[in-house]
Amino acid sequence: MSSLTKLISTLARVSDTKLALLNHSNVQIISSAKMSQYPKYFIDPTFRNDELNALYETGEVKEKALVPCRAALTEHTSSEFYSSFTRKFINHVMRKGNKQLAREVVEKAFEVIKKTQIQKYHSLPPEKKVDFTIRDPHELFHQAVINVKPIMVLTPIKRGGVRYQVPVPVDDLQATILAYKWFIEASKDKERTVRFYNKLAKEIMDAANNTGRVVKKKLDLHKQCEANRAYAHYRWN
Amino acid sequence: MATTMLHKHRVSVLFSFGRSLFVRLNVLQGEFGLHQKCSGYSRPINTLSASEAIAEIKNMPDESRPMPAKKPISKAMKAYLLQAKNYDEFMKKQNTEFQIGRRHLANIMSMDADTMSQEDIDQAIEFLFPSGLYEPRARPMMKSPELIFPPKKAAEFDESGRPYHSLFYTMNPNFYGLLQDAVTEYIGLNKEEDNMIRKRISFSSDMKIILSGSDWLSQEKLSNLLIEQIDDAQYEQFKNVMLRLAEHPLSNKVKDFIMKYRYSLVNEAALAEIPKPSYEKDGRAYVTFKGARRKNAYADVTVHMPGTGKFLINDCDIEYFQDIQSREQITFPLIFTALLGKVDVTATAIQGGTTGQSGAVRYGLAMALRSFVDDKMVERMRLAGLLQVDWRTRERKKPGQPGARRKPTWKAR
Repeated sequence: MSSLTKLISTLARVSDTKLALLNHSNVQIISSAKMSQYPKYFIDPTFRNDELNALYETGEVKEKALVPCRAALTEHTSSEFYSSFTRKFINHVMRKGNKQLAREVVEKAFEVIKKTQIQKYHSLPPEKKVDFTIRDPHELFHQAVINVKPIMVLTPIKRGGVRYQVPVPVDDLQATILAYKWFIEASKDKERTVRFYNKLAKEIMDAANNTGRVVKKKLDLHKQCEANRAYAHYRWN
Repeated sequence: MATTMLHKHRVSVLFSFGRSLFVRLNVLQGEFGLHQKCSGYSRPINTLSASEAIAEIKNMPDESRPMPAKKPISKAMKAYLLQAKNYDEFMKKQNTEFQIGRRHLANIMSMDADTMSQEDIDQAIEFLFPSGLYEPRARPMMKSPELIFPPKKAAEFDESGRPYHSLFYTMNPNFYGLLQDAVTEYIGLNKEEDNMIRKRISFSSDMKIILSGSDWLSQEKLSNLLIEQIDDAQYEQFKNVMLRLAEHPLSNKVKDFIMKYRYSLVNEAALAEIPKPSYEKDGRAYVTFKGARRKNAYADVTVHMPGTGKFLINDCDIEYFQDIQSREQITFPLIFTALLGKVDVTATAIQGGTTGQSGAVRYGLAMALRSFVDDKMVERMRLAGLLQVDWRTRERKKPGQPGARRKPTWKAR
């Protein structure tokens, strides 16, 4: 293991060359992580059959043909039950490396969602059954996260000794992570007898309908941003 | 700097009317401003032809003119030349010793000395001097002296002190010479491009070099190649210049030049050898992959081709793995290649934990399945990350820290 300073300077060099290389179309920037046990020129794997087929169609495969590829992670499978979106959420739910428990909990929540949705579907009169399309809990969760993602966030910025709460736009990834966090917080906050997965299921279904606690939190945040509109220029000053 | 002696021959030939040739010459008129008597002719002037006269002048000895005294070589120069000479002698000696050693080794190992390759030598040394040292460079080695001793440049300037390389005074002549070569190539390509545009020849994408699959030589390797210390700024400059050259639409014409400074990334040998299946008594084809690893786990996986989708892991069903992620992992290669119900899998997994063992079985299974699918599917498996050893291991704990990355609680005071 090289010393920390050498590692930092190496990373700095790597990032500089990467920036330089980004401007040239001939070379593709290929690895996702900077600090890893793989050399930097290893590319990320494409384990979904539809994505691979797309690569073959567009001809991108030729570029990847001569470059070594990383191993697929233990979460990656090509089975139809895999959802990359949910996988990220499971990682956020996980505590102390207990992936098994996190996955069980989220899957139980989805089971509850599915059961509820099917109940609802069967209780509807036949004319309305046609409109009730979303029964897949993964899709529902996707929709819920979209409804819960904030566009702007308040950040504390210090100007003249005073910390102002300044509204700042937030990029997609950060917004998604915030949404995950809020779901988990809301599901933890409950009466003693209610299970985490039950509460999570309820929150997801509410959020997919644009109602419920988590969406309210997002709307409150947006209202606060509107209220602090006057401080917006502190972002640049 | 010692001056060199220049003889300036100025021959003016005057052709007069008629037949006679009249040759007039000024010998040694140059820097000394001397006019010598034209002595030493064997025949009178007006009987000589022009070419004969010139030949005579060239053959004339210079002993009449005093040579300037030889300038003494400075001590630094002497030391430098001595060093270069010593290095040459040293390398020669090392080479002879190496050759003798090779013969002795061949004798000991009863191998043929002439056909012995470096690999054979390495194997022999590993056998004769087994070492438990972790670092390969600390173990006993017997290699050609060129590989062991760092290369040194031959004498860079002659006895008079004049350097051989025109860029010597840049201190890194090989490096800057390389950059200049790259620019020269670039200018050449530009000219070709102009020609093609003038002739209305269309450009195609295969006129441009493909850089994927190879990477620039590292700073260290480049320094070794050029026998000069290349610093960070110079290395960046090198990469920028070479990349600019490679970006030219006609860069395939200078492919040899560019590829000299690149190394290929893929270890083709690892991918090329797909084992042929063996056959059981009842005619079923099978392949065994041994030594599949993941974290601390090892697995040997056997795949029988005309099968019914049975799993036998350590004499248990697939329920040997109780968590769903591990089960997904071992069925991943089968789902990917669409062989889920068509093969039988037998595996023995030792050591490690759930994730390690299932990861090892997955890798072993994927490697064994290569023999039962076509080349296109093998390539797909490689791109899916199934045929790559996951060599990530648990990071060690460091002294002064509670864990691998965790630092002690930060206290303000």
